Amino acid sequence: MKMDGKKIKLFLVDDDAMYLKLLEIEFLQHADFTIDTFATGELCIANLSNDPDVIILDYYLDGVDKNAINGIETLDKIKSYNPALPVVMLSSQDKIEVAIDCMHHKASDYIVKSETAFVRLQKTITTIFSYKKMEKQLNWYMDRM
Amino acid sequence: MERTKSHDSQYASSLIEASLDPLIALNIDGKITDMNQAKVNITGVGRKMLMGSNFYDYFTEPQKARDVYTEVFAKGYITDLPLTFRHTNGKLTDVLFNGSVYRDNKGKILGAVVVARDMSRQKWALELQVANKELAFQNEEKIKRSAANKELEAVSNSLKLASQYSLSLIEASRDPLIVISPEGKITDMNEALVNTTGLSRMELKGTDFLDYFTEPQKAREVYQEVFAKGSLADSPLTLRHKNGDLTDVLFNGSVYKDDFGKILGVVVVARDITEQKRVAKDLMEAIVFAELAVTIAEEAKIKAESSTLIAETAVKAKQQFLSNMSHEIRTPMNAIIGFTKVLLKSDTSPKQKEYLQAIKMSGDALIVLINDILDLAKVDAGKMIFEQTPFKLEASITAMLHLFEPKIREKNIALLKEFDKQIPVVLLGDPVRLHQIILNLLSNAVKFTNKGEIKVGMRLLKEDEKSVTIEFSVRDTGIGITENKLNKIFENFQQASSGTSRIYGGTGLGLAIVKQLVEAQNGTVNVKSKIDEGSTFGFILNFLKTKALAEFESNLLEVDSEIKNVSVLVVEDIALNQLLMKTLLDEFGFTCEIASNGKIALEKMKVKSYDIILMDLQMPEMNGFETTDYIRNTLHSNIPIFALTADVTTVDLDKCKAVGMDDYIAKPVDEKILYSKIVSSVKKSRLGGEISKEEIPIAPTIKYTDLSYLIQRTKANPVLIMEMIFLYIEQTPSLVNVMKQSWKERDWSSLYAAVHKMIPSFAIMGISADFEDMAKKVQDFAKNQQQSDGISNMVNEIDNVCTKACEELKIDLNRYKNIE
Repeated sequence: MKMDGKKIKLFLVDDDAMYLKLLEIEFLQHADFTIDTFATGELCIANLSNDPDVIILDYYLDGVDKNAINGIETLDKIKSYNPALPVVMLSSQDKIEVAIDCMHHKASDYIVKSETAFVRLQKTITTIFSYKKMEKQLNWYMDRM
Repeated sequence: MERTKSHDSQYASSLIEASLDPLIALNIDGKITDMNQAKVNITGVGRKMLMGSNFYDYFTEPQKARDVYTEVFAKGYITDLPLTFRHTNGKLTDVLFNGSVYRDNKGKILGAVVVARDMSRQKWALELQVANKELAFQNEEKIKRSAANKELEAVSNSLKLASQYSLSLIEASRDPLIVISPEGKITDMNEALVNTTGLSRMELKGTDFLDYFTEPQKAREVYQEVFAKGSLADSPLTLRHKNGDLTDVLFNGSVYKDDFGKILGVVVVARDITEQKRVAKDLMEAIVFAELAVTIAEEAKIKAESSTLIAETAVKAKQQFLSNMSHEIRTPMNAIIGFTKVLLKSDTSPKQKEYLQAIKMSGDALIVLINDILDLAKVDAGKMIFEQTPFKLEASITAMLHLFEPKIREKNIALLKEFDKQIPVVLLGDPVRLHQIILNLLSNAVKFTNKGEIKVGMRLLKEDEKSVTIEFSVRDTGIGITENKLNKIFENFQQASSGTSRIYGGTGLGLAIVKQLVEAQNGTVNVKSKIDEGSTFGFILNFLKTKALAEFESNLLEVDSEIKNVSVLVVEDIALNQLLMKTLLDEFGFTCEIASNGKIALEKMKVKSYDIILMDLQMPEMNGFETTDYIRNTLHSNIPIFALTADVTTVDLDKCKAVGMDDYIAKPVDEKILYSKIVSSVKKSRLGGEISKEEIPIAPTIKYTDLSYLIQRTKANPVLIMEMIFLYIEQTPSLVNVMKQSWKERDWSSLYAAVHKMIPSFAIMGISADFEDMAKKVQDFAKNQQQSDGISNMVNEIDNVCTKACEELKIDLNRYKNIE
C-alpha cells in the first residue's frame, strides 16, 4: 500500500476518544501509515497544511460539544481546501439519508461503525489509492493522446 | 626630800588626771577611795559622791563588776574585762577593765587600782579634750591643794603612800605615759611605754623623746606644740618598737609646772590605736572585699544570664534547624522515592528492579528517621500536642496489629493480644500517638524476635469516675537486653549494643520517642529483660472516660476489599506531589484526577462527581481553606475533604476543622494511612448516604466485559489494551452522567449524542449486544421521541452495566499494570 515509497499520511477525526484510539491501534499495526488523530473537526481543518493523504471523518462530531462543527461542515471545509483530498465518512448510523448526504458532499465513501468497519476502511483506502492511480494513469494517457 | 615627795605626788596626780580612761582606786571592801576626772565624767557622779561608794554601783551588771574587784584582789591583777558604765543620764559606755593591787612597803595590800578603757572611740576623743582641759585645771588645783597642805607635808609617809599610789595608778594604765623635760629628754614613763618600745626603763630614761617615733620631725612639732600651747590633743604619731613593730598612737599632752608656775616638763599620754587602726583597716578591707564580692557576683550573674540566653537561643536554633532540615530533606526524598516508584512500574529488568527496590527501601528508612527526629524535636520543644478524641482502644489496637501480619508470617512467629475486658470500650485520648508508641515497641519486638511469640497486653490498673489507668505491655521472646544497658536504651541514639545497629538496623530513636511520648502524657515507661529469653516493655497511661462515641472508628481500618471504584480529586499545585499522589492512588486502584489549584478543582467538581477530595492547603489562586469553604458553603456539598499538609501543627488542624475538612493526611503520605482513611471515609459516606443501586449485589460471577475482541484487535499488546481500557474508564462515567442527566431533563439531543457515542464501546469491551441494542433504542427514541416505553429502565440498565464494566476494567487495568 505504499505510495511513491512514502508512508500514507492518515488523519483520523472522531470525538469518541475510544473509537479513535481503536482505529489508531488498528492502522498502526499496519506500519504503513503515519497517523494524526483529532477529536474535533476544527483541529483537523487547522492541521490540513500537514498534507494528509486520506482523512477518515466521523459524521457526528457535534454530539456532546454542541458548539463543535459537525462532520458535514468539516467535510465541506476540507473539500474547499483541497477538492482532491479523499475523505471517508464514518458513522454509527446505518441510514440511507446519511449516506446520500455524505455522497452529496463529495465524500469518497461512507462506512458504518461496526466490527467490520476497519476492514472496510482498509479496503476503501486501498480502492481510493488504486482509483487515484488509475486516474493518474488515465490522465497521463489522455495527455499523450 | 619632803618637797620632792610632795612634788612626786603632785606629778603623779597630774598623770592620773591626764588619763582619759577612768581610773579608780578601791579598798579591799570594794569602796571607791579615789578616782580621776574620767571616772567622774563617765558616771556623771561627783567626786564626793563617788568617794566611799560601792565600786559596782555604776555598772549595768553590778554582779559582774563585783567579780572584777574580787578578782583583782584574788589574783593581784586583771586584764581586759568587759563592763558597761551607766551614766546618771542613762548613757552607757563600754569599757575594758585592767587593774592591779597596790601594797604598802611591807607588801600588804592596801587596795586596787583599776583602769577602765573606754571602747567607744568617739566618746573617747571628746572626753580626751575634756580631760585635757581638766588637766590644766586640776594641776592648778593640785598646786593650790599642795600649798594648803604644806603643814601636812611632815606626814611624809602619807605622801609617800600617795606617791606610790599615784604611781600604781600610772603603771596600771595601758597607754604609754611619758614625761618629757623641756629639753625633750624622757624623764619618766610607765610600763606601757616600756612594752611599746621594747626598751627598759633605764634605757629610756634621759634619751631623746623623738627617737622612738618613725617621724621624729613630727614628734618634735608635737612636743613643741605642747610647750607652746600648754596642751595638745589627738596628735597621731607612730611609736617604733626596738624589734621594728610599729604602734600607732594618738598623743595627748599637757605641761606641768612647779609651784611657781615654772614649766617643769610635759606629760604625754600616747594612746595606742593600733587595734583601732587594725579594726578600721579590717573594716575597710572587709568593705572592699564585700564590694568586690558584690561586683564579682554581679558579673557572674550577668554571665549566667547571658549564658542562659545563649543556651536558650542555641536550643531554639537547634530545633529550628532540625525542623527546617527535616523539611528540606523530606522534599527531595519524596522525589527520590516517588520517582523510584514510578520507575519500578515501568519496564525494567529484574536486576534494575532489585536496585530500584534498594533505593526505595533506603529512602523509606531515611524518611522514617527524619520523622523520628522531627517528633523528638517537637516533644523537646513542647510543640507536641496530644489530641483528646474519643476512640475505641481495642479496635484501634487490633487494626494496627494487622500491619505487622506480613512480617510476623515471614518470620514465623506468633502475635498475640491480651485485652482486659474491664477497660471501657471508648476512651478519650490520642490514638495516633498511642499507635506510634506501640508501633515503635512492636517494631522492635518483631525485629529482635526470631522464634516464639510477641504478646501485646492491655491491663486496667485503676479506674475512677473520670479516668482509667491502663498498663500496656509488649512482651517478646527475642534476644533480650543485658542489665547494664537497660537504663540506657531510652536515650537518644542508644541501642543495647553497638553491634545492634549493624545486625538489626535502626537508629536508636524508637525507644527515645516512646519515652518522650509517654512522659509527655504524664505516663511512665519500664522495661524488664533477660538475655536470650526476651524483653517486656511496658508503659502506663491515663485516659479520660467519655460517653461520646468514637467519632472515627479507627484511622487504620482493616483493608476492605469491597471498596472499589473510588474516584479521588487531588488538589495540589506541586507537579511532583501530583505525580506521587497519582501513583499512590493508581496503586490502590482508585481513579484520580488532579487539579492544580482550588479554582480548577471547583470547575472539575461541576462536571464530575468524586468520592473524596485530597486538598493541599497552600496553593496559588485559591488555597485549600478557601476552596473547602466554597465547597461547603456555596456548593453545599458534603463530599469528604482531607487536608494534605506537610506541617502538622494544631493551628492548621484547627483551621482545617473549622473550615469543614473531615480529616488530614500528613506529608509525606503514608500509603497505608492514606488507603485506610480514604476507604473508611468512602465506606462511611456510602453507607450513610443513599444506598446507591450499584451497591445492590448482583451475582458477582457474571462478568460484563470480555476483552477477547480487544486482545484480538491489539494482538494482545498490553500497552494498547491498557490505553483502551483507560480511555473507556475515563470517558464512560461522564457519558453515563450526561445520559442520566439529559434523560431527566428531557434534553433529547444531548441524550442522543451521549448514547450515540457510547454505542461502539459496548462491542469494543465485549459487553453483551443486548445492552448495545438498548442503547440504540434509547438513541432512536432520543431522535424521534416515539415509543418511550421502557426507555427509563434501559437508561438505568445502561448506567448499571457501564458502572460495573468500569469496575471490572479497573481491575483488569491494574492486572495489566502489574504484569507489566
